[in-house]
Amino acid sequence: MKGHVMLELKNITFTVPGADNEAPITIIENLNYTFESGKFYAITGPNGSGKTTVAKIIMGIHSQTTGSILFEGEDISKWPVSDRAKAGIAYAFQHSARFKGLTFRDLLSISLGSDDEDKLAEVIARVGICSLDFLNKPVDAKLSGGEIKKIELATVIATNPKLAIYDEPDTGIDLWTIGPMVELLKKEKEKYGTTTIVVSHNKAFLEAADTLILLRKGKIVYNGNLEGALPMLRDLSICKFSDTCEGVADVECYR
Amino acid sequence: MLNAIDKKLLKEVAELEGIPKGAYNIRKNGELMGREVSANIHIETNEAGNGIIVTIKPGTKNESVHIPVILTQAGLHDVVYNTFIIGDDSDVTIVAGCGIHCGSSESEGHSGIHEFRIGRNARVSYVEKHLAIGEGEGRRTLNPTTKIYLEENGHAEMELTQIGGVDEAKRVNEAELGPGCSLLVSEKVLTEGQQHAESRNELMLKGENSRANMVSRSVIKGNSNQDFYVQLTAMAKCFGHIECDAIIMDNGTNQTMPALNARHPDAELTHEASIGKIADDQLIKLMSLGLSYDEAVNKIIQGFLGE
Repeated sequence: MKGHVMLELKNITFTVPGADNEAPITIIENLNYTFESGKFYAITGPNGSGKTTVAKIIMGIHSQTTGSILFEGEDISKWPVSDRAKAGIAYAFQHSARFKGLTFRDLLSISLGSDDEDKLAEVIARVGICSLDFLNKPVDAKLSGGEIKKIELATVIATNPKLAIYDEPDTGIDLWTIGPMVELLKKEKEKYGTTTIVVSHNKAFLEAADTLILLRKGKIVYNGNLEGALPMLRDLSICKFSDTCEGVADVECYR
Repeated sequence: MLNAIDKKLLKEVAELEGIPKGAYNIRKNGELMGREVSANIHIETNEAGNGIIVTIKPGTKNESVHIPVILTQAGLHDVVYNTFIIGDDSDVTIVAGCGIHCGSSESEGHSGIHEFRIGRNARVSYVEKHLAIGEGEGRRTLNPTTKIYLEENGHAEMELTQIGGVDEAKRVNEAELGPGCSLLVSEKVLTEGQQHAESRNELMLKGENSRANMVSRSVIKGNSNQDFYVQLTAMAKCFGHIECDAIIMDNGTNQTMPALNARHPDAELTHEASIGKIADDQLIKLMSLGLSYDEAVNKIIQGFLGE
């Protein structure tokens, strides 16, 4: 399936109302991009560049102001989140929802469409980063940041997605788990042909990607391999104007 | 002797598929329908004739007693006073509950007072479910009162659930804890339509190193209303916590008033309370796993109410 078009973003613009009577603020501006099937993409860029917004527009969590989205050739621009999920798009949230009264088993059963013990065990083995006894953990405020991210990842993989979107999957994850997590996403891509989009600042994910997309101010400013992006990433990583910066008042700041 | 409605009510409120094994007392329409005692669990009608006395022998372990009440007679308001005497060192489960089937426009109701005297080192798990069903439009009222007296090192877990269909409920829970005792009260109430439910709780931590935890979960749908009051009073070095969460849907209204009252310098009392709609991030997470909006709402509510 490699090389086939999985997802197309056409002229996507996303604006939010300005404060009081001010003009609307453009978060994403006329963005066009084609994601190919079975490839691993990393979306990176400075804070506030629109990375998460693009990811949420793909999942249907945000509705684009204008433009259209084609998934496997079908226009899904107006589809609700549930329909996109059923079509094969999955989304791992940066800040995972916490529930009162639902366990990991409950969530994983929804993902799988089955609460069969063997199938649950199978998917836990496939994900490999959490143990079986995780199943009965309540997905509530008591979970650590790392635990909830593992649960988030497992619930996404269990849906067996065609397109998996991971928004900052390493938030709260300990250093030693990031490597296995990257390997897991690569393995999923290789074994199941999952088209993978990771929103991240983490070098480990950027290195794993086939293609790196660099966003700035809601526009794609680079599309290619990591090597080619390095000079720009270095440039973006440290602000050289911090001694004169007056924060939001400096609207001309290139960051 | 059990008809189809009786069986349905018993299944819902006491998880019984028929007449239970072991000790039981089934009350139907204000009268005794069946009773069985066991070697360690004795049941007798009280002197006033308005309830039963359940006596558990000291040292009784891993036994249970079912005492459901069913109401299917129009216009009847059943009132009972049941007493439970739990012997020292015992460990038992008591399953109560009241199911109302209302088939006419006449009201039906049940007011039950349950008093627990829990002995030294005894453990009790009490499960009580309330449900009203039926096509009739008569008002269904359930006014349960629970009084719990825990002696030294006693432990009680009270699981109190009102599943649905009850038009008016006024619940009162009172507890007194002796030294080393612990109490967990878990109350779950769902109201809808024009229903009203009120819960008043007075927990008194009298003994040193006693612990009380009150967890309340409310779901308020339609135009219904729920009010929740709890007062936690500490008379000794002890620990108490209140956790009350209400989910409001549609036009439901809720008042939650947790109160902490420390009468001892070493008391540790805490509470957390929240009222609000179902959180968007929870809904979107479940929808992103393929559930529709309505399915996601149901799943969240089911989990919240521990169904």
